[in-house]
Amino acid sequence: MKKLAVFAIIVLIFGTVSPSLVDSAYAQNDPSILLRIAVQADKQIVNQLDGVYGDQIPNNLQILYDKGHGAVYSLDESLPNDIEKAKQDFLLAMNSFMQISRTISQSSEKVVAVTVSDKDSRTLSNELDRLVKYVKSLETISKKYNVDTESDFIKIYDLIQELRKQANDVNKVNVGIKKIKIILDSIKNDIRESALEQRSDFIKRFFDRSLNQIDEQLAKAQDNGVDQSQIDTGHELILEIRELLTKNQINDAKVIFVELKGLMENIGYPIRIT
Amino acid sequence: MASFIEPIQLKQSLGDDGILFVRNETILDTMVKTSLLVASMIIVAALLPIQSSFSSPRDLDLIIYPDGSTHISTEIDIDPFLTDYELNLFGSTIDNLVVVGDNEFLLDTSIMDNSVLIQTFGSSVITIDYDIHDLVSKQGRLWTFSLDSPSTFTLLLPKNSAIVGMINLPINMEIINDQNQLTLSPGKTEIDYLFSNTISNSLSDTKIETNYFPYAIISGVLLIILIGTVIIIRIKQKNHKPVEHNQITKKSITLDLETIFKLKSDLREDDKELVKFIFNNGGEALESELRKKFLQPRTTMWRAVKRLEREGVIEIEKKDLQNLVKLRKSMESEE
Repeated sequence: MKKLAVFAIIVLIFGTVSPSLVDSAYAQNDPSILLRIAVQADKQIVNQLDGVYGDQIPNNLQILYDKGHGAVYSLDESLPNDIEKAKQDFLLAMNSFMQISRTISQSSEKVVAVTVSDKDSRTLSNELDRLVKYVKSLETISKKYNVDTESDFIKIYDLIQELRKQANDVNKVNVGIKKIKIILDSIKNDIRESALEQRSDFIKRFFDRSLNQIDEQLAKAQDNGVDQSQIDTGHELILEIRELLTKNQINDAKVIFVELKGLMENIGYPIRIT
Repeated sequence: MASFIEPIQLKQSLGDDGILFVRNETILDTMVKTSLLVASMIIVAALLPIQSSFSSPRDLDLIIYPDGSTHISTEIDIDPFLTDYELNLFGSTIDNLVVVGDNEFLLDTSIMDNSVLIQTFGSSVITIDYDIHDLVSKQGRLWTFSLDSPSTFTLLLPKNSAIVGMINLPINMEIINDQNQLTLSPGKTEIDYLFSNTISNSLSDTKIETNYFPYAIISGVLLIILIGTVIIIRIKQKNHKPVEHNQITKKSITLDLETIFKLKSDLREDDKELVKFIFNNGGEALESELRKKFLQPRTTMWRAVKRLEREGVIEIEKKDLQNLVKLRKSMESEE
């Protein structure tokens, strides 16, 4: 028995320590990815410099490129033995390339900085791809709750297909997307209504379990001499919540539950998952 | 207890100032019971992940579309006693938000600027999916992705994009459907990329040498656990009485697709597709292969695989730090 216990201790210590070991091991499991990224970036920068400046690369950019390229060369040398050096080389290379590409993009064209939060800059086909993803996730949920929305989804998919054909007409597509979103909002409401009963049952069961647990905690607190008025308040709140639940007033029950939770924390018996 | 403490009269000695000393070398054993120590360690070990996991993303996957918009998919462990949960979003231009709780309940949400208030009461895990348009900016041909992430995350870059600058070290990189997927550490990330038709296949050209040290550590830990399990099983077998087999009759069936679907008729259609793919792939596939094949985010695929494992259709093994999903060779059915 004693041997078994000692063994269990060893396993537990390893079990506690090993996640951190795995984490750091994973971070370095394939350092060659650093070289792969840096080599690819190097090639892209050469292409960019050639395309924009040809043989007349500005001096500052040439210096930066030499620095970056040298770091890629050093990175290749450092691997696989000197990981720390390889990391430094990688960061130096990528930083140099970043400066070059930012300088090129600022100087070579009449550039306007754009954030894609400007709706005009988004691509309609991408917008439709994202919409399809959204539609599919709602379709999966509605199937789970047997919501009668099949015809709505058929309509949506037809609309999306139509919009893909009209991708050049921005206004038409935007109007179409708005139309689809209205249908999706109504589907969401249908899902919510249909799942309401199951969700309410789930919440009631959860309340029931939690309130029983709190009841026991209050009994313990009473035994340990906690102020009786606090214990009484706790019992009153539990009763109030149960009453609200029988009337199906779940949101009100939640509000009282928050109060009860605070009380339990104040008396030193916080609610925990068991 | 009596065996640890020797009678005082046998080992007593009087100090110079007349104090009675009791020699007891097994005082530690006497004061700290081993079983108590083990029990407390188990409790500490069990509580550690719970304490550290609440309100922290278990998974965070980002997909950048060619137009710079980003799809975010995340799964978060939360305290089920919270009536609602406020999640900071990574920006304010949000589209297509879907929040699902336990049992795939569609949860009510309200967006306020950069955050969303989710009615979570009773849910211990929530899955959040949304599109965001604040993470990528563009200057000329150069696109810049920036994020301050609270946890490790994966980032799938668009097709034909090439990274030309970044400020931090990636943890890993994979190629999924000709797209680069990076795994990145928590904290600030900035990645510059541009679209190019001349992206070389240098990714596959460079030699790959693997560092086996982490595998050795993990194998060591696994070996210890394995030896321990064998010892425990042997001890148990010594004291083991034959079990009555009358209550449960086990049917061992060599499985083909038809049999699986017959036995598990309530499998979801998408799960059936997964099973078909694994079956046609020689009965096993890496979880990452399944993600590539079905273009599913990590969390979605993880849930699907877990579902199939619960159904007893597949088993999951670890292979090179990856999940290897295998069809079970036989299936037990209770009659």
